[in-house]
Amino acid sequence: MGIADGLGEGFSVALDPTNILYVFIGVLIGTVIGVLPGLGPTATIALLLPLTYELEPVTSVILLAGIYYGSMYGGTITSVLLQLPGEAASVVTTFDGYQMAKQGRAGPALGIAAVGSFIGGTLAVVGLILLAPPLADLAVEFGAQEYVALTAFGILLVTYLGTKHPVKALCMAALGLLLATIGQDLTTGTGRFTFDQVELFDGLDFVAVAMGLFGVGEILYNLEKTEKAEQIKSRIKNIWPSRKDFKDSSGAIARGSVLGFFLGVLPGGGGVISSLASYGMEKRRAKDPSRFGKGAIEGVAGPETANNASSTSAFVPLLTLGIPPNVVLALIYGALLINGVQVGPQLIDTNPEIFWGVIASMFIGNLMLLALNIPLVGIFVQLLRVRGGILAAFALLITMAGVFSVNNDIFDMWVVLAFGVIGWLMKKTGFEPGPLVLAFVLGAILETNFRRAMITSDGQFDTFVTRPLSGTIFALMALVIVYSTVMGIRRQRRGRPPALYSDQLDAAAPHETAPGSEAEGTAGVGATGDRADGGGSPGATGGSTRAEP
Amino acid sequence: MRRASRGVPVLLLVAAGVLVGCGDDADGGGDAADYPSDDIRLLVPYAAGGPTDLTTRTVGSCLESELDTTVVVENLPGGSGALATTELVGAEPDGHTLSLVTAGTMVLTPLANEVGYTVEDITPIGVMAEVPSVLAVGDNSPYASAEDLVQAVEAEPGSVDVGVPGASTPQGIELQRWADEHGIEVTVVPFDGNAEMTTALLGGNVDAVLINASQDVTANIDAGQFVPLIASSEERLDWLPDVPTFTELGFDGLTLSGSTFGLAGPAGLPDDVVTTLEDTLQSCLEQDEVREGIGEVYVPEEFAGADDLAEILDETQQVYEPILG
Repeated sequence: MGIADGLGEGFSVALDPTNILYVFIGVLIGTVIGVLPGLGPTATIALLLPLTYELEPVTSVILLAGIYYGSMYGGTITSVLLQLPGEAASVVTTFDGYQMAKQGRAGPALGIAAVGSFIGGTLAVVGLILLAPPLADLAVEFGAQEYVALTAFGILLVTYLGTKHPVKALCMAALGLLLATIGQDLTTGTGRFTFDQVELFDGLDFVAVAMGLFGVGEILYNLEKTEKAEQIKSRIKNIWPSRKDFKDSSGAIARGSVLGFFLGVLPGGGGVISSLASYGMEKRRAKDPSRFGKGAIEGVAGPETANNASSTSAFVPLLTLGIPPNVVLALIYGALLINGVQVGPQLIDTNPEIFWGVIASMFIGNLMLLALNIPLVGIFVQLLRVRGGILAAFALLITMAGVFSVNNDIFDMWVVLAFGVIGWLMKKTGFEPGPLVLAFVLGAILETNFRRAMITSDGQFDTFVTRPLSGTIFALMALVIVYSTVMGIRRQRRGRPPALYSDQLDAAAPHETAPGSEAEGTAGVGATGDRADGGGSPGATGGSTRAEP
Repeated sequence: MRRASRGVPVLLLVAAGVLVGCGDDADGGGDAADYPSDDIRLLVPYAAGGPTDLTTRTVGSCLESELDTTVVVENLPGGSGALATTELVGAEPDGHTLSLVTAGTMVLTPLANEVGYTVEDITPIGVMAEVPSVLAVGDNSPYASAEDLVQAVEAEPGSVDVGVPGASTPQGIELQRWADEHGIEVTVVPFDGNAEMTTALLGGNVDAVLINASQDVTANIDAGQFVPLIASSEERLDWLPDVPTFTELGFDGLTLSGSTFGLAGPAGLPDDVVTTLEDTLQSCLEQDEVREGIGEVYVPEEFAGADDLAEILDETQQVYEPILG
């Protein structure tokens, strides 16, 4: 199917009234949860996952994708106006966005972010169209060795990119891999860690684990905090940026689109990394880097463009290889599995309506967001008055009913509760659930393919390096490990934490409000919102990124 | 728009589940004479969307109109069929709880795991569908015929990689028996279901597959991407007249890798209820609508009733017990 035919079919799917409604609901929910510091896209998608069982597969992906990129827009609003990032990928926007707001330029900051997000999102959709079909054709040739290489690379990057504590992330990834071994061994059929419980034969249900860790864990964590309703008193004027603003930001938007696209495709990449990388790039390229942190419009335009582009391009590995590159996409992968869709290289051929329908819906969704955001910013901000406790009660109810409906299995409800408590404890102690969940998903793929590769190669390990593609990926992995070790040692000598980008994140802290700057690892993993610390100190919240005194 | 019909809000579903549960307690164990006196729960031990689900739903809606009662088809995937089967064997034997059964859920799973039931704990009713397996290669395979492939394996045991849909599946065991009983040693590569195997065969990452010839596979055979070399049935398949069977090639007894989708109730189902259900199933399987729903080629030419299903399950049990037990 050519691109023209594909898009034709895609739009006929996406323009179906039901799907238009769901893309609208998706981007609206996305914007709303982007504004609310309590719930990030990951938690929201985790909570809504079982409901997609009631929908057509394509509609459910349209909805969930809408939430994902919608939250990228929404997160900007509170970052700019209150220096409260609604979700993790918008942390960077607080650097210059809030400064612009203090100078009375909140309007143009929000305007350029919306325009940049639109351009970044749209360009990324075009990239997805051009890149995905040939990649999927190539991927049919991928054997077990390639899948081993790709999943191992994914797990490595997840623990390295965008995590504040690589060691903690590594621990969580290891735990995820261990949890993935529960259930019947796919190669021999023997039960492992099942204790003869029928419920455990197929392992822990991914949906239940994710809903517990992200959904319930997040809810519990937020309930602990004292809430205080936020109010924006200042009116926002002149939202459409001036011609000079556009001129200043055009380069940043163009670079942000490209950067975001490629970082989004990378396993472990996604929103947080791409916005940080774009900010760093703009700052390096600027004639006068000292303007950054004092209201430079490029510092808003670039990162906002990049995080939106990455939230779209993250669909490339999922739709072509069946490998989710970050946690949000892992959840969308779960939604497809619940609906009985086989995700892999053949998806574009066997379910063209899903691939092209989702792509077409992204065009529509981005347009809707542009239309929604520019005139309605004032209304979204009022959402901050909703009390967290009310939200939490509803969310918990939906979660429990929802998870039951997936398999009609009461056991899954216990799994959600257990992992909810674990997720809450992890958040309190600064362990991130992202690497755990992603390793849990990738672990099953990694293990079966490793065993399969061992069977077909008669137990020869060199099969992984002699095949050109898997050999290349393993070489890349070795490079990343060497590079990160060297950089980590150098950073430590300079007395900085050994994690990538942590110094940029620290830059947010001097304002002493830096809430939510926990820099959640993988791609917009839940908004970490230290809700409404506004003006106070970030206090003793775990993993806070305050600068050294 | 199958999914649209399930578009009941989740909360209502939960509430309804509670109510149904109460109902069962109230009038469980109804009188066989006025069967059916209540709704019928029809369990599917697999997830929605596959061939088992399709078959059960098609038969379910026919039972519903023939018996003039509500038939609720319920997917209870998990535990290699053990979740649904445990539910079945624990239910009142009054014909108001039925389930799809296969050799996998009734023989393989209890032999391989501690599940607390055996094939003795059900009352067979009849065969809904029979899906044969085929040993197939890709269209550019060096093996043009079954003989080519067998020769290659005999020349160098283990040199041919054959994909199967899972470790403890009838296909996996069949290949093991091919080695044990006939000395044909292929390398068995377990995948997770048909879709993964299809990708692997098309990508040239396995040499052949022993696969359930469900509709996705017949589509690939029709398109010429899969070349079937051997069929698992006792006699040649009507729709693959040129493909020899294992038996024909001299491998006696290798007829168990296909799947039989049976209908069964809990042990101790009254004879007249069994007869009613058996007759209804037979007349359903004669209806064009049902045959098309299941797939014409999968409906047994001659109706196989309670005794036949029992025989199929017993035979499988006898063959598998020494291998797995």
